[in-house]
Amino acid sequence: MNRLSKNIIAGMSLLIISLPLVAVELTARQIMDKVDARAEGNNKVSDMTMTLIDKRGSRRVRSIRSYTKNRGEDEMRAMFFLSPADVKNTAFLTYEYGDNRDDDQWLYLPALRKSKRIAASDKSGSFMGSDFNYSDMTTPDLNKYSYKILKQMDVRGSKTWVIESTPKNQAEIDETGYKKGMIFVRQDNFMVVRGIRWVADSKEMKYLDIPQIKQIDGIWVALKMTMTTKKGKSTLHKTELKFENNRFNQDLNESMFTVRQIEKGL
Amino acid sequence: MVNNIRQKLESGLGAAGDGIYRHPWVALLVIVIFFIMMASGLKNLTIDTSTEGFLHADDPTLLTYFDFRDQYGRDEMLQLTIVSDNIFSDQVMSKIKNLHNEIKHNVPHLNDVTSLINARNTTGNKGALIVDDLIADDAWPQTLEDWQRIKTVAIANPIYKNLLLSEDGTITTIAIKTNAYSDGEEQSSDALLEGGDELFSEESGVDGAVVEERLPLSDKENGELVKAISDIVQHYQSDDFKIYLAGGPVVTATLKNAMTTNMKRFVVTAIATIALILFVLFRRVSGVVLPLLTVVLSVLSTVGLMGHLGIPIKLPTQILPSFLLAVGVGASVHLLAIFYRRLQHNSSPEYPRGDARDAIAYATSHSGLAILMTSITTAAGLASFAGSGVAPVSDLGYIAASGVMISFVFVIFMTPILVSIFSIQSTIDYSHDGEHNKDSWIDDALVWIASFSIHNSGKIIVVSVLILIFSFIGVSQVRFSHEPYKWLPEDEPSRIATEFVNEHMKGASSAEIVIDTGRENGLYDPKVMQGISQLGKELETIQYKDLYVGKTLSLADTLKEINKALNENKNEYYSVPNDRKLIAQEFLLFENSGSDDLEDMVDSQFQQSRFTIKMPWGDSVNYDVFVAKIEDKFNSILGDDVTVTVTGMAVLLGETVVLAMKSMADGYLIAATIITFMMIILLGNIRMGLFSMIPNLTPIIFILGLMGWFDLRLDLFTMLIGSIAIGLAVDDTIHFMHNYRRYYKEYGDLERAVKETLLSTGRAMLVTSIVLSTGFYLYMFSTLNILFNFGLLTGTAIVVALLSDFFLAPAMLQQLHKYNLIKSHDEY
Repeated sequence: MNRLSKNIIAGMSLLIISLPLVAVELTARQIMDKVDARAEGNNKVSDMTMTLIDKRGSRRVRSIRSYTKNRGEDEMRAMFFLSPADVKNTAFLTYEYGDNRDDDQWLYLPALRKSKRIAASDKSGSFMGSDFNYSDMTTPDLNKYSYKILKQMDVRGSKTWVIESTPKNQAEIDETGYKKGMIFVRQDNFMVVRGIRWVADSKEMKYLDIPQIKQIDGIWVALKMTMTTKKGKSTLHKTELKFENNRFNQDLNESMFTVRQIEKGL
Repeated sequence: MVNNIRQKLESGLGAAGDGIYRHPWVALLVIVIFFIMMASGLKNLTIDTSTEGFLHADDPTLLTYFDFRDQYGRDEMLQLTIVSDNIFSDQVMSKIKNLHNEIKHNVPHLNDVTSLINARNTTGNKGALIVDDLIADDAWPQTLEDWQRIKTVAIANPIYKNLLLSEDGTITTIAIKTNAYSDGEEQSSDALLEGGDELFSEESGVDGAVVEERLPLSDKENGELVKAISDIVQHYQSDDFKIYLAGGPVVTATLKNAMTTNMKRFVVTAIATIALILFVLFRRVSGVVLPLLTVVLSVLSTVGLMGHLGIPIKLPTQILPSFLLAVGVGASVHLLAIFYRRLQHNSSPEYPRGDARDAIAYATSHSGLAILMTSITTAAGLASFAGSGVAPVSDLGYIAASGVMISFVFVIFMTPILVSIFSIQSTIDYSHDGEHNKDSWIDDALVWIASFSIHNSGKIIVVSVLILIFSFIGVSQVRFSHEPYKWLPEDEPSRIATEFVNEHMKGASSAEIVIDTGRENGLYDPKVMQGISQLGKELETIQYKDLYVGKTLSLADTLKEINKALNENKNEYYSVPNDRKLIAQEFLLFENSGSDDLEDMVDSQFQQSRFTIKMPWGDSVNYDVFVAKIEDKFNSILGDDVTVTVTGMAVLLGETVVLAMKSMADGYLIAATIITFMMIILLGNIRMGLFSMIPNLTPIIFILGLMGWFDLRLDLFTMLIGSIAIGLAVDDTIHFMHNYRRYYKEYGDLERAVKETLLSTGRAMLVTSIVLSTGFYLYMFSTLNILFNFGLLTGTAIVVALLSDFFLAPAMLQQLHKYNLIKSHDEY
């Protein structure tokens, strides 16, 4: 083969390889489907440190060990407070259902030696007094939103799609407390690495940032995330979550995710 | 030496008047540039009628309040109070729900809306704890029994009581919390993406440091919010659904509207009235146009100065423009009176136009100094308030004093300029012979006054002394008062609403106490929480005059509510647990139950908490003592382990009164001292200086006495009367003494000197006093009734000051001569 035909073949090959990239331009919804379908692992154990930082810079730190197990479409989670001392052994048990049912949540108060089911009907309430609310902690029903790709941007050196999400109805706004959202999805692994949320009936905004992610046992995991509540350019409050000792495929029995078990403690 | 300086000043002013007359266009250019520079500040002018606006930006009480507001938000809430026969029914509650939602979704600058619809209802049973809205979205009551059940729950809830629901369940409130800070613009996706990584960078204040100083909610924004709510309320208002809109933000907005209306009205009527009086006096167009143009320019410059200095117009400063109009005209009148007189004199049948150049030089040289002196004394009277702790009173002191001096500059410049440009001529018609002076009856009256006061000097003095004695008795009865919502007319809806809430919902005002334990999680301490709970009960016994604790709201109430719900709703568990860990865990549970209500009550460290006291909106003059009683109670129950800080709207109002009373005492003392001192220098004689203060101070003592006798309260406006009146009254005295001395030297006869004085300068005194008192009487047409007393009393003070210069001053001079207290002519 002469030099020219080599070049032609090389050129053709490149063209053929790149064809799918051009042809299969993903729609915003398709991207979201892939985000939704991304493997999240099962039988997970991890230690979470939650730092609440108020606008004066005062910090309040809690550490929590959490166990997560999937049961079909449902997810079960048990969380135990390790510190501060006053709330040590306080435990949460959550069942998040794949269908439209409200979550079930129980709380065990060691000082009272009693467990209570907590009925929380909407998800706009704060998660443990942090800047995250319950809807931030769960995956949204994609059918309730319309998605639009705004642009592509680099975040910390990785290409992302910037996708705007708009709730389709007022009920969803009331439920989540957000009237609009914007997320930054990494193109290589479909991880959400950033997000901006517009709080309903307010001028407050929430900024989600996930500066550290890592592949553990083949699954992409956020090691650190922050949620900052701002109004204009002023920070009102910030929450930092750090995840350590992330392990998947642990030997977690369904019986661990019972009220009786959380009362027993770790 | 004094004489030497005086002569130099007089000739200097004369030369200036002449120079300006000869180069009017150059002078005009200079003054126009000066005017544009000053007036350009008008575009920066803002209005501030807020409660916190009464205090200086660096006032410690205010800084404490700002700290509070930064943590917990704005304490002044709007209370939308609804009266209806059957609140707990589908029909009425649906209306409340719609009203609630309409406000929530459509009103700007809103922080939170709480009503029976979304009131927190924490209940428990054996297995579950439910924190939900009283009337949950998905469980709208269907039957009468459902409604009855809800009513029972609502009436039993101690937190709702007198906050959301009256004790008998017939009145309910939608509590509306406004933003504490300006919103700023909402950013669109595109705008945000422009910013790129900036938004997420740690430097942009994410780590707790606030980059941008947050601006407090402005008066304009507060007004927009109140307007939006009022508009919505109008659609719901009906006889069987009566709505009262009360609360600090509404009163603030209403006062602001009233103030803007007033200012326009005052300025327009002041200009019209002054124009009329000037026309009657001078009977020529230039006599109206010249002074008005001069004062309007100086008022605009002065208000522009406020814009430049970033001083907003506040409730007390609203009088500034019309006040300066009246005062400025006085100076102009004195100059013009002499100018016209000279112009008529130096005209002749051969030269009927008169010599304007000579007349203006003469006027500036002979009146300029007196105008300068009277401007300085007026400014000194006003400036005596510059040190006031009440911010707008201090502003008024600085700005009005500067305004008077700016006015002086404009009068001295503009009069020669306009006289020159418009070639003002004598109006004497030499084609006919006859009487030129059409107002001889005024002269007759003045002559009569002079001879009456000289011949009845003893009687006048006795009567004056009697009046003074009665006045002094009155003065001892004068009381202070500061109740801004009562400045509104009695039929004004927000005043009616405030009074309604005061009466039926245990108070429209509030005080806030911050309890700081000084350590993280200090509030988990059962001793502290039990103390707070005990305070809730014991505070309700505190009372002072018409003030009482109507209701308390604290973190302990929330804790007791959770504790009860966790223990199967048993009433005996409505208490603070005696276990630190349980307290901590119950709060953790609450934080996790979907309610964000803790944010409004406690800092995120659980170190400090807020304690709200609902109380009547009464006279702020009693707040100081009342708040001290509350503080004592806190200290005695909570002990030394925690720091207690009382703040909030009531404290701000109370502090305003304390500072106002202090600044009034200081202001009067400073004004009297400075002006006495100036009179001594001006008259070049200590004894005469002191004597001259008697006719100056008499009107003030008389007015204060009148207030005492008729139980008119001293307030932020009437407290100014003394300093304003002394500064103005002294003007008349200066003119009187200045001329009297000249004539006495000339004729050596007291009666003749007094007659000449009254005939020459007395006429101008009469006119300026009419202008000034009319200017003040115009405030009686204000929509804010606080200005009625101020206008009436200050106007009267001016009239009394004139009377005292016409009658008391000559009588005193007569007596002084009689008893040889004035030893020689050199004493003048």
